[in-house]
Amino acid sequence: MSREAYQVPTASGNNSAPGGGTNLSRTFDTEGVTMNYICGDCGFKFPLRRQDNIRCQECGCRILYKERTKRMVQFEAR
Amino acid sequence: MPGKTKSRCADAEEVADTTMEDAPTSAQQPSDGMQEDQSGNNEEEDEKDEEEVEPQRVRILPGSSNTAASFEFLKEGHTMGNALRYIIMKNPDVEFCAYTIPHPSEDKMNIRIQTYDTTTASAALAKGLQDLEDLCDVVTDEFWTKRHDFMASK
Amino acid sequence: MAPSAGKKRAPPTAEEIDERNMVGVNKETVTNTTSNDYPDNYANEEHAWDKDDFRRSFKVQWHDNQQFEAQFSLIGIDASIANAFRRILIAEIPTLAIETVFVNNNTSVIQDEVLAHRLGLIPFTGSKKVICDVMGFWQKPAEGEDTWSTTFDTNTVGLSLKAKCTHNKDAPQDSKDPKVLYHNAHIYAKDITFDPLGGQSEWFTEDDKIRPVNPDILIAKLRPGQELDIEMHMHKGYGWDHSKYSPVATASYRLMPTIKITQPILGEDAKKFVQCFMPGVAGVEKVTRQEARTPDSGYEGHEGELKVVVKDAMRDTVSREVLRHPEFEGKVKLGRRRDHFIFSIESSGQWDSDELFLEAVKTMKRKCSVLKPQVTNMVYTF
Repeated sequence: MSREAYQVPTASGNNSAPGGGTNLSRTFDTEGVTMNYICGDCGFKFPLRRQDNIRCQECGCRILYKERTKRMVQFEAR
Repeated sequence: MPGKTKSRCADAEEVADTTMEDAPTSAQQPSDGMQEDQSGNNEEEDEKDEEEVEPQRVRILPGSSNTAASFEFLKEGHTMGNALRYIIMKNPDVEFCAYTIPHPSEDKMNIRIQTYDTTTASAALAKGLQDLEDLCDVVTDEFWTKRHDFMASK
Repeated sequence: MAPSAGKKRAPPTAEEIDERNMVGVNKETVTNTTSNDYPDNYANEEHAWDKDDFRRSFKVQWHDNQQFEAQFSLIGIDASIANAFRRILIAEIPTLAIETVFVNNNTSVIQDEVLAHRLGLIPFTGSKKVICDVMGFWQKPAEGEDTWSTTFDTNTVGLSLKAKCTHNKDAPQDSKDPKVLYHNAHIYAKDITFDPLGGQSEWFTEDDKIRPVNPDILIAKLRPGQELDIEMHMHKGYGWDHSKYSPVATASYRLMPTIKITQPILGEDAKKFVQCFMPGVAGVEKVTRQEARTPDSGYEGHEGELKVVVKDAMRDTVSREVLRHPEFEGKVKLGRRRDHFIFSIESSGQWDSDELFLEAVKTMKRKCSVLKPQVTNMVYTF
């Protein structure tokens, strides 16, 4: 998801931001916004979409972790 | 708003400056062109040809006379302070010598030297540095010859 | 200054000098702690700095010299000088250490910054010559400059650590040890690889490669699926900046202890006396016939009895236990020699311990020679 694609959800509810809660037909296209999760039990990596059950597709474990950023992070060894 | 804060800031600085006159010497800005000034004024070429242009780190503090002077060393601490104090006190022409680090968060070390009329304070300091160098030579020689003897005896 | 009128005072005897250099360690107090070898301190004694006098009086004694541990005594030197050497050893001799850590991936349980800190503290070694002579100091690029504009093969060493933990399919069924169950369960310092930059592949040849001093330092523990992918840059630095740059694990000195038995301690008391010290410090011997016949020796008529002798005062910890017992009161004098420094240097690996001290002396000399012209150039404001 690019930064521009994200819209701050507002209470007025007449925009299409996720979490707005109204007008589900116009929520933004989640097809492209799949997020990879890692099972806390078996380590299986799989994509989940918004409406999917929070559950490992392999073992059914309900503890899922998000992937770590792919970016390099720099630290001072101090 | 920013303008206001700025002017207030300047005022504060002025007030601070005036009271600073009475502050201990070490807290004063160096009046002679030492530290960064010196190296900054040197042509850029200087920096290039061996970039080891040591900035001036020693200065004589105001209120000093020929035979009684305080010296301020930047970026020196107890290591050189105490060693120098000892070797300068070994000089029979020196009446008094002591060192201090006026404030722990300032990287400064002050040495006070008072001499008899037979020499000057800065000459005593220069002699101290020379004597310390000689001492290092003697220690190096003795240390390494004894090390060789020890390794040979094993 | 002027020689005092009347008859000249005789030069001090060896005993007198010994007494002057003795710090008294008493039951509740210490006495005679400050140096007094300055001009004007004793009548008719010079005590001025003299290189030749110093050369004659200064002595070094070696006790132990291993690569990473050295013990030696400096005798005839002032505390201020010995302390300067010690301080320089700890904080002013540069070494290489990991300074920047680039974490591409770290899914282990140890947090990035903690991991980075652990990596920084690992002592590394390599070709001493190259580290000392070729490698220089890295400087932060100026504002607006390219990030790598100051990074060269002459001031940066690249390292990397890549590891992934997997299940060991061949592990026995009943095994519980993670090191058997998984591959790469433990990541050690030896898993860090050296990535030569530029000319470094020629400078650091096979045996002189940059490597951890101790290959078995545990860096992180992993479980299957966890991964480390890290690159590191080493720079040169000083101990005063961060202790990871200190070339020594410890560098310390203590003063030589002395134990003087002023009156004979005999029989059962002698055995108790020995028990007051660390093993090997004091011992018992039989009073010889000759001693028993010497008048005023205190041993008259005690031939064959046990008496206390001091075997090796250097091993004494100066616990003062002996001073707690009334039966030894007035019979023993504890002290330390003020001009006898027993140095102990433990190198952390990049240097040899004996070299380190030499380097410390050299550093002090360099500091003096840098300051000397500055004293001459000083601007006079009075």
